[in-house]
Amino acid sequence: MRPLVTGATTPLGGSVIRILLGDPEVDHLVATGIERDPPAGALPSSPRLTYQRADLTRARTAHDLLFGVARQRGVDTVIHLAIHRSPHGSRASRRLDVEATRELLLLAESLPSIERFIFRSAADVYAVRHATPDLLDEDQPLELDRRAPASVRDHVEADLTACARMGIGRLAITVLRLAEVLAPAQGSQLWDYLQSRVCLRPLGFDPMVNVLSLDDAAAAVRLALHAREGGVCNIPGADTLPLSRIAARWGRVDLPVPGPLLDPLYRLRTRVIGLDFRYDVNTRRFHFGGMLDGRRACERLGYQPAHPIDWPVAASPVPHHSQPRHEPGVGR
Amino acid sequence: MNGGREAADPPGPASAAPPAPPLFRDAGHGYDLFGLRPATLSRAVAVGRPLYQHYFRVDSRGIDRIPASGSVIVVANHSGALPVDGAMLCLDLLLRSSPSRIPRAVADWFVPLVPFAGTFLTRLGVVAGNRGNVRLLLERGELLVVFPEGVAGVAKPFRERYRLQGWRVGHAELALRHRAPVVPAAIIGAEESWPVAVRLRGARLFGAPYLPVPATPLPLPVKYHVRYGEPIRFDHLPVEAADDPDLVAECAAQVRDALEELIGRGLAARRGLFR
Repeated sequence: MRPLVTGATTPLGGSVIRILLGDPEVDHLVATGIERDPPAGALPSSPRLTYQRADLTRARTAHDLLFGVARQRGVDTVIHLAIHRSPHGSRASRRLDVEATRELLLLAESLPSIERFIFRSAADVYAVRHATPDLLDEDQPLELDRRAPASVRDHVEADLTACARMGIGRLAITVLRLAEVLAPAQGSQLWDYLQSRVCLRPLGFDPMVNVLSLDDAAAAVRLALHAREGGVCNIPGADTLPLSRIAARWGRVDLPVPGPLLDPLYRLRTRVIGLDFRYDVNTRRFHFGGMLDGRRACERLGYQPAHPIDWPVAASPVPHHSQPRHEPGVGR
Repeated sequence: MNGGREAADPPGPASAAPPAPPLFRDAGHGYDLFGLRPATLSRAVAVGRPLYQHYFRVDSRGIDRIPASGSVIVVANHSGALPVDGAMLCLDLLLRSSPSRIPRAVADWFVPLVPFAGTFLTRLGVVAGNRGNVRLLLERGELLVVFPEGVAGVAKPFRERYRLQGWRVGHAELALRHRAPVVPAAIIGAEESWPVAVRLRGARLFGAPYLPVPATPLPLPVKYHVRYGEPIRFDHLPVEAADDPDLVAECAAQVRDALEELIGRGLAARRGLFR
C-alpha cells in the first residue's frame, strides 16, 4: 500500500502517519502539508516517508502533487485529512474544505494507480434537533438548513461531494464522519470551549457528548485503508459523558447560564481573547447532544474505540453499582 | 372479564431488602449512552419509594409476567396532570422485577426541549420518543415502557377516565420487528389522583401541546393498583408484518383490547378510591 496523506502536519495527520508507518503492509507514504518543512516533531523520520509541501487550495498544486510525486511513488490511496480549522466560514476555508476536496477527487479518479479515496468528514454534518435520536446513524439527515453557519455548510457540501461520487467511478470512496477529536489544532470546537477557566452551558441542559481521541481516529483511518469496501461510516470515540462532566474532567468550572445570554457572551470572549469557539455553531449540540452510532464502522471496518481521552483531571471513583460493562458496537 | 379479586403477589423487593444492582451498561463515565446515571436513579428511588409505599400504596399484581431478560415492551394507560402514573409504574418495575430491570420510559417528543426536566428524566433512564432511540434500546434487550395514548391520554377530561384515547400503533410495529413481547399494564387510581382542571392550549411552553392546570395543588392519595397482563407475542407473524399497516393496526388493537380488559378487571376489583 502506498497512501498519500493530506493535512499531515496536523496532530491527526501526524498520528495517522505514525500508525501507518507501523503497518508492515504500507510500503511508502507521501505526506503533504501547507508548511515548507514539517514542524519539529510533527512527523517521524523514516525512509518510507516522503514529505511534500502542497497548498491544496491551488488547483495547479494539487494536480502537480498527484501527477508528480504521487505518480512517481505509485500512490494507490488518497487519505484526505486536510480541513480548515476556523469555524468562521471564510473564503479560504471554503477553498480548502469544498473546492480542494472536489479537485482531489477528480484528480484521483483520473490517475490510474489510485484505487481508494478516504475522506475525513465530521459529526457536525448531521442535523441535530430535539427530535433526532440520541445516537445518529449514517442515514440521519444532514445539516442543510440555510441558517447553519457557513463552516458547517462547507463541511456538509464536502461530505456530499465525496458521497455523490460513490459508485459512479472506479474509486472506492470511504467517508469517515469523525466524532469531535478532542485535540488542539484540529478545528475542535470543544477544545476551544475548554480553553476558558469557566465553561458556560445552557441552563437546564446537559447533553451527552461523545469525544474521540487522536489514537482512535488514526486507528479508524488505518482500518479504512484495509477495508474491502468503501461507504460512509461514523467514527465515535471511547468517551461518552455529559457536557458538564467534560468541563469538570478538564479542570474547568461548569457554569449554567440562561441560553439567550450564551451567544453574546461567547462573541465577546472571541473578541477579547481571540479563541475560535462559536456558540452559534454549537447551539443545538449544547442542548441535544448528537452522538454518533458506530455500529456500521464496527461491522465494516472492525473499528472499536479503544483509546479514551487522556483527561487532565483524574476521575472521581465510579460507584460500585455502576462498574463499566462495556458493550461492543455502539460508540461507547 | 374476571371481576374477582386476584391473589396478591408475594412481598417483593419493595418491602424487603434493597434491589440487586440492575443491569446497567456504562458508557465509561458512570452514564449510559442515553444519559442514564444510576447514582441519580438511586436518589430518585429513595425519594420516590415513600410515595410509592405510603402515599399511593401501590398494589402490584403480575410482575412475574415481565420477562427476566431480553427486550420487552410494557404498554400502559396514561393520565394525570404530570406523569405520576409513569413514575409509579417505573418504580414498580424497578423495585419488584426480579432480577431488577431498569425501565426505559419513552417520553413524548417535546420532553428534551424542557429545561431541567428533560435532563433529569434522561438521568433516570427516560428516552425521547423517536424511532432511532426505541429501536436501539430494543436491540440492546431493554425493557421499554410506552404510553400509546401519548398526550391525548393525559389531556383527556375527567369524564373520559379509563377510556383509552388516540391509540398509537408504534409499539406493535416495534414488537413485530424486534420479536419483543408486549406486556399490558393497567394503572388504576392515577386517573382520579390528579385530574386536570384546565388545559391552557395557548400556552405552548417548550413545545408541549398545552399547559395542564391540575384541580388540586398536589396529587390526592388515591391508592394505585398496577395490573400486568399476560405477555402478548406476535412471533407467529413474520418480521415483514411490521411493514404491513393493516397487520400492525390489528396487533395494536389486540394490545388495546387486552389493556382495556385489564383496566376493567382492576376497576371491578377496586373497593374504593383510597383502599
